[in-house]
This record gives sequence, C-alpha cells and structure tokens, in this order.
Amino acid sequence: MPRWLRYSIVAGIAALVVVLMLSFRFDPRDIRAVTLNKPAAAFTAEKLDGTGTLSLGDYAGKVVVLNFFASWCPPCKVENPALIRVWERYRTSDVVLIGIVYNDSTASARAYVEANGVTWPTVQDADGRIAFAYGVRGPPETYFIGRDGILTARHIGEITEAALVAGIDALRAQAAR
Amino acid sequence: MTRGRALILVALLAILGAVAWSVRPQDVSAAERVDRITSELRCVTCQGLSVRDSLAPSARQMQGLVAQRVSEGRTDDEIRAEFRASYGDWVLLSPSTSSWSGLIWLVPLAALAAGLAVALGRVRAAGAPSTLTPSPPEVAALRERVAREEALDLPHADGAE
Amino acid sequence: MNLTFADIGTGALRAALPLAIWGIGAAAYAVAKRDGRALASARWSALITFLLIVLAALAMVGALVTHDFSIAYVARNNALETPLFFTVISLWAALEGSILLWTAILAGATAYVAWRGTPALPRLATTALAVLMVMCAFFLLLVTTPAADPFVRSAIVPLNGSGPNPLLQNHPLMALHPPLLYLGYVLFSVPFAYAIASLILGEGGDRWLVATRRYALVSWALLGVGIVAGAWWSYAVLGWGGYWAWDPVENAAIMPWLVATAYLHSVMVEEKRRLLRSWNLSLVIATFALTILGTFLTRSGVVNSVHAFSLSAIGPLLLGYLVAIVVLSVGLLLWRLPMLRDSGTVGAPLSREAVFLFQNVIFVAATLTVLLGTLYPLIAEALSGAQLSIGRPYFDRVGVPLALALLFLMGIGPQLPWHGASRATLERQFTTPIVAAAGGALIAIATGLGGAFAVLTYALAAFVAATVVQEFARGIRARRALHGESGGAALANLLRRNGRRYGGYVVHLGIVLIAVAVATSESKTIEVERTVSTGERFDVAGYTVGYGGLRTVNEPQRDLVVADLTITGGGTEQRLHPAVAFFPNATQAIGSPGIAAGLRDDVYTILAAYDTTGQSWATIRVLVIPLVSWLWLGGAVVGLGAVIAALPQPKRREVTRPLAQASSATVGD
Repeated sequence: MPRWLRYSIVAGIAALVVVLMLSFRFDPRDIRAVTLNKPAAAFTAEKLDGTGTLSLGDYAGKVVVLNFFASWCPPCKVENPALIRVWERYRTSDVVLIGIVYNDSTASARAYVEANGVTWPTVQDADGRIAFAYGVRGPPETYFIGRDGILTARHIGEITEAALVAGIDALRAQAAR
Repeated sequence: MTRGRALILVALLAILGAVAWSVRPQDVSAAERVDRITSELRCVTCQGLSVRDSLAPSARQMQGLVAQRVSEGRTDDEIRAEFRASYGDWVLLSPSTSSWSGLIWLVPLAALAAGLAVALGRVRAAGAPSTLTPSPPEVAALRERVAREEALDLPHADGAE
Repeated sequence: MNLTFADIGTGALRAALPLAIWGIGAAAYAVAKRDGRALASARWSALITFLLIVLAALAMVGALVTHDFSIAYVARNNALETPLFFTVISLWAALEGSILLWTAILAGATAYVAWRGTPALPRLATTALAVLMVMCAFFLLLVTTPAADPFVRSAIVPLNGSGPNPLLQNHPLMALHPPLLYLGYVLFSVPFAYAIASLILGEGGDRWLVATRRYALVSWALLGVGIVAGAWWSYAVLGWGGYWAWDPVENAAIMPWLVATAYLHSVMVEEKRRLLRSWNLSLVIATFALTILGTFLTRSGVVNSVHAFSLSAIGPLLLGYLVAIVVLSVGLLLWRLPMLRDSGTVGAPLSREAVFLFQNVIFVAATLTVLLGTLYPLIAEALSGAQLSIGRPYFDRVGVPLALALLFLMGIGPQLPWHGASRATLERQFTTPIVAAAGGALIAIATGLGGAFAVLTYALAAFVAATVVQEFARGIRARRALHGESGGAALANLLRRNGRRYGGYVVHLGIVLIAVAVATSESKTIEVERTVSTGERFDVAGYTVGYGGLRTVNEPQRDLVVADLTITGGGTEQRLHPAVAFFPNATQAIGSPGIAAGLRDDVYTILAAYDTTGQSWATIRVLVIPLVSWLWLGGAVVGLGAVIAALPQPKRREVTRPLAQASSATVGD
C-alpha cells in the first residue's frame, strides 16, 4: 500500500473520531428556525367565525403573537388556559393574539374554539400556506412578531404563561420603527 | 469476423439500443413532477422519510402545496427554494451541488479513483502468451483432466477446520 | 431471603465480570508460559462466564413475564396487557436488554472458541481467546454500570408499565430480526480476534484465515439475512410501502456487511496465491470496527433515526471502545507490516484475482460513501453549525452505479481463470452470457421498465445468471461423463463436494434475484390514493379495490381502526385489513398495512386517513409493487447458498473407473 494512502487513512480515522466526539454537543432533533429575524410572512385568511378575512397587515405597529393550534392536538388544549389569561391581560393594549388553525376542518376547529373559551381572533389556514411560510412543524407552535414586523422568536410545543409574558414584554419594550 | 464475435457484437448493440430507448426524452406529467419533488423533500415531523413516502398530516399538507405550485408553473428549483426559505437546508434530502455540502457528491468518485489507482498499480500485465500449440489429442486429454479435477475438487493446503 | 429476578440477574453479571478478567489473564499466561493448567482455567472461566450471562438473561425474561415493575427496564418496556410473545422478546426491545443479548452471544462465541478452539493452532487459538475475553469484559462492564445495567431498580414502582414501543409489538418479525443481526455482528469478533492474535504472536502466514473461514462466512450470512429481515420488517410494519430508506441504523448494518463481502472474496486470493495479506487483515479489522461503530451510532443518540434508543452514558463508552480497538489494531498492523509483504504480483487485468481486487475497491468505496453520507450531517454541524440532511435521493443515486459495476464483476469474476485469460477463453466463456444479457435488456423494454439503470440491471442479471447456469452445466456434464451419474445426482454431488464454489454460485443467484426485485419494484410501482365511502370500488393497475367500511377492534394492548378491503384481480379475490393502531402511551398512531403478497405483484394497502367523527369515509392508498417478493426469496437463496458453502465436505472416495473409459467420453464444452 503506498505511503500516501496509509497516512491519509490514519488521518481520516483520526478526523472521524474527533467529529464523533464533537457530535455529542448536538441534539439531532433540535433544528433551528430559519424564518427568524426576517420580516414575518404576510397573510390574509378567512376568519373562523365566518365574519370575513383578516390580514397580518391590519396589525402593523402592534406586537403580534401567532399561535398555531388544532382540535386534534392534546398539548394545544393544555396550553389554552395560559393563552386565555395572557389575552385577558393584554387585549386592551397594543398586543394582539391570533390563533391559526393547522390542518383541521372548520367544523372541528369551531367546536374546539367554543368548547375551550377561545376569544381572540382565529383564522383558518386551509391549505397550510401560512404554516408553511412560517416553518411550522406541527401544533402547538407560537410565534412572536415585533412592532417592526420582524419575526423575533418561536416556541415549539405547549407554552407557559410565563414564557408568553416574557416574550410579549420584550417586544413591547422595543421602540416601534 | 467469426460467428461468435458477430453474435457478441449484435448482442452489445442490442443492449445499447435498449438503454438508449429507455432514456429517450419523455414528457413528464404534473403528477410525476410532484412525485419527484416531494421525494426530495424531508417530512418535517418524521424520522427521515420523504414527503412523498410519509403519511403524516404535515407531509400530506406539503404534498398539496407542492401540487399547487407545480400547477402554477413554478420550476423545481423555485419550489425547493421556497422550502429552504421556510425550513432551512435541512429539509432537502439531497444536498444541492451549488453549496459546500455539494462536496459529498465527490466522495464516491474520489474513493473509487483512489482505490483504482492503487489496484491498477498492483496489476501487472501477464507475459506474452505461449506460442506452442498442443495437438488435438493433447488438448482433449488436458481438458478431460481439468474437468476431472474440477469435479473432484482436489484439496488446497487446507488446515484443520 | 427472598431472591428476586433482579437479585439473580445483578448477581450473575457482577460475578461474571471478574471471572472474565481472570480468563484474560489465564489465557495470556497459558500462551506465554505454555501452561496447560492455565489454559484449562481460561476455558472454564469462559464457559462459566457464558452460563452466568445466560442466567442473567433468563432472569430478565422471568422478570418480564412476571411483570416485575420494580425493575426500571421492565417498567419501561412491558405492561400488564402486553401479550406473552411480545413480552418475551422485549428482552431485546430497548438498549439495556439488547446489550445484554449482545453480551450473551459474545460470551457464547468465546466459550465455543475456548472449548473447540483450533487443534492445529493452539497458540493462535488461545491468544484469540484472550482477545475475545477482553471484549467480553468490556461488555460486562457496560451491563454492570449505570450506562446499560438492565437491572436498575425503578425509583417508584408503577402499577403498570408503559409497554414496549408500539412499533416493536406490531409484528412477530421482531422475534427474528434483532437476534439474527446480533449473531451476525458478534460472530465477526472471532475472525477479528484471530487476526489480532496472529499479529500479536507475529505468526505470519495465512493460518488464521483458514481457521476462521467458516466463522466469517456464517456471520456474513447471518448479518445478510438479518438485514433482509430488517427490510421485510420495514416493509410489513412501518407502512410506508418501501423496504429501505437509508436510515442511519440501516446504514450501520450494511456497512460491515459490505466490507465482509469484500473480505470473503479477497480471502480466496490469499488462499490461492498468497497475496493481499495486509489487505485482508485490514478488512477484518475494518469489518469489526464498523460493527462497533454501528452499535455506537444507534445507541449514542448522535443521529436521528427510526431506531433511536434512549440516550444514556453508553455513547462515550462505546466511542472509547471503538477508538481503543482502532488504535490498537492499526498499531499492531503497522508494527507487523514488514512481515506481511506479498510475494508475487496480481496477474493480468483480466484474471480472477484482478477482478476480485477491483470488486474489493468498489465495495470499500461503497462503504466509505455510506459512512460519509450518514455522518455528513454530523460533520457539517460540528464544523460549521450548518444543519443539513442526506437521505434516500443521495444514496440511491450513488449506490445504483456502484451496484451495477458489482453485478458486472460478479458475472465475469468466476469465469476468469487465475493468472490471466486469453482472448479465446474470453470468447468461449462469455458469448452465451452476453447474448443472455441482450435478452435481459429486451425483456426489460418489453415489460415497460423505465430508466437506463433498470434496463442495465436486467441485462447484467441475465448475464450473471447465464454464467452461473453455464458453470453448473459444465460441472454436471463432467460428472456425468466421469461417474455416469444422473443429472440430479451430479448436481447434488457438485453442491456437496465442491460446496464453496457452487454454494457461492447459489449466493450469486440470490443476489441476482434481489437486484431484479429492487430494479422492478423501484421502477414500476403504481400508487393511487382515493377517498372512498362504504361500498365504493376503484381500479389500480388491473386490480379492483372495494372498500367495505371501517370498524374498531379493541385488543388488550392496543385499539385498532380497521378498514375492510376486497382486492380482486388476476382471477383471485383477497381480503385485506389495513389499520391504524392506537397505543395508550403513544401520542401518534401507528399504521399497519394490509398486504396481499404474490410472486408477481404485491398489493399493498394503507389506511391513510379516515373520518374521525363518523367513520363514513376513508382515504386508502394502494400500491401495486411488482416482484418485491423476489427480494425475500433472494435473501433466502443467499442464505441457502451460504449454508451449502459452509457445510464440511464429505470424505473423498477414490475414483475407480479406468482412464481409458473416461477419455472416450466427450468432456468439456
């Protein structure tokens, strides 16, 4: 075996071992969001209660919290009380909470909304375009958009009241641009 | 040309013709385009399945999106770019050749090249073939001996086993 | 004193560890000082270690069957409602249990080598025994530390366990696939141990090769059949309609198999022509290292996969073991390299040994490609933080050309003589196979196969099949002429007396079946998805699918929503029941396909979606997959060929017919 091949094989094995050791730092299930720190995708969607459409642009200058949910999603039900409390606290200020139905029939979503006391604006994302534009993997996911329209934070899974409040307050502290 | 060689030539031409026929340019239907694109996109809620193979709700929704984009006339690259914008490079199951990760396509070629270089270096051409031609009875006897030995499997220097 | 299963298991394992360490010392001393008593001591320690580990495994099975939830492993992988069959096989359902199984098999192989050994090579066998006992000691260390101790107690004893992972209790194949795979992995430790022993002792020559030939062949066959069983499980259980997704764990199994295949062939070059010594040693070391790497990848949590076991401290330990093995073996090899120089060169480019060399290059290149493809996401993230994926499209695209090259070499290799071939030989040997290849290509076109690769696969498959048939015909003719045997007896005798060669041909035929199955199923599968209501029928590729409605089935460990389908086609009618299963502790439902298997087509049905409120409509996905059964058939043929090749040859009888009679017959072609 020629010497160059011998050395490159030994070097290759050494490099492999180093990589494997470094790989312990990463969790393969933890995939970063690439839509963050960019302007949040604009959308216009049918409101769930049938009273017309709603656009993200309607809330320019406000702090927007998007919550993707579905009637077939158990953690969504678990985080709902936290959402109710947060909505009660901020509804009269410059913060708006919008619920977006993910991959669900309008009838089931309406039933869920009624049964769980969802009072904030909710829209139907019929073909999944909105979820796709934001990079949603599956409900529940919550997205925080600043006054400047930039998507600043994402929370995967059921969210707590504390996390919601922290996210909203951080955005309210930002001066509008 | 002997009959045997003519036969070989004809056979090789037939194979070539069959291969050429199989790669003739054909119209790709919209459904086939959707299939091809979704087979290269990763299902975001699965363990490595493609959007095409997966039955998860998120994958079926994405399949619908891709079908919509194809019917709108977008190119494959545009659709893939949209997915990359939403989910990152992670969502492409096959690294694009335009980025650094495209280097992975060179790995099999480099490995083969290195290996063949070493192998060919060890293969020496045999000496000139013998000019002695045995007589037909000798050939027959030799062939008979070969066949006999083959059928009996004379032992190698096999140790105990 | 109340002896629980946990006590028995823990005690047995903790007693086995010092015993194994003693065995290392005894074996090493026996070699160094040629001490017979030390050797006997080493043998007994190997045997008792094995028995203790079997006792621990039985204790775990006992704990599972009696639902002893005071043991954390049982609480996590068993529930009161789990059926007995799946309870017993939960022994290898999760990390700790599977390591215990691995250890048991390793100890069994060690005990076998200890007692049977190799009578002609006592020093080599005893040194190999010492190496094997080091491995046993390491795995015993794993199962007696929190990293993988199966008998760790539960913090709180639950009233009912969580039950096994739903995917692992949906199909009886779970009984077959892991043990086969582990047997294949672990048995390769024996050739490795012998290789290391020969390096340590500085005994040049090829004796270790011959001594371990059968172990290598058997472990290769078990690994190969285990991989095919895994593909079958993926097909019949995971319900996505495919059998191979290049999942990291699938890759982890196929990498050692590829290198082992290369090894089996280059071993023949070393036996026939005393060449490629250092290369063969490298291949054995690489195969064994890849088995450990594979184990590491699937259990450390660094890659995402269908098989991912739960995270534990076992990752760094296995990595350390792998590094130690690689460093020590490569070091030993480099130290002894001067002793291993080849005497002679490989023959002409068109000789059998050259073809074997090229085939080795391709197998190793393929293994490297799979390895780097699997690790690339890890490498990219570790170096630059980028997160990317390498999946089926990449592996398929690079794998197919390599596989075709291998098919080609598989056809010409056995037909070429050692040392080189003349042009006349080539013409004589290959005219019929090339014509057969043309026939294969035309059949491909006639049956509507699409794509150049599929056509080439058919051509090469016909090529290889023709060469194998040619070889058998030649051999049968020779035996008939010389011994007056009938065709059937001649065939049987060929397989018995020359098992290595003709068994190898049978293996090649099995590979051909697999190649044809893969090419056809990938190219001509037809897929249709329809949303139907009760009583509706629709057509798919010549079959009519009738939907008869949904029903709910409640089993002790799961609830099922089952769709009743009737498939009519090809003169038969079959009922299929694709379902969706809900397990109490799983958030996602598991799909269960309904498959009508046939020699020509499989009709594969999946319940994709259904009306959750009223169960009035259902979305059924139907795939008609041609020739996929040939895959399982081909796997069985490969196994059969390996058995033929591994069987010991019967004693040789003298040929008593006089020469004059024999030469009057027409011999040859």
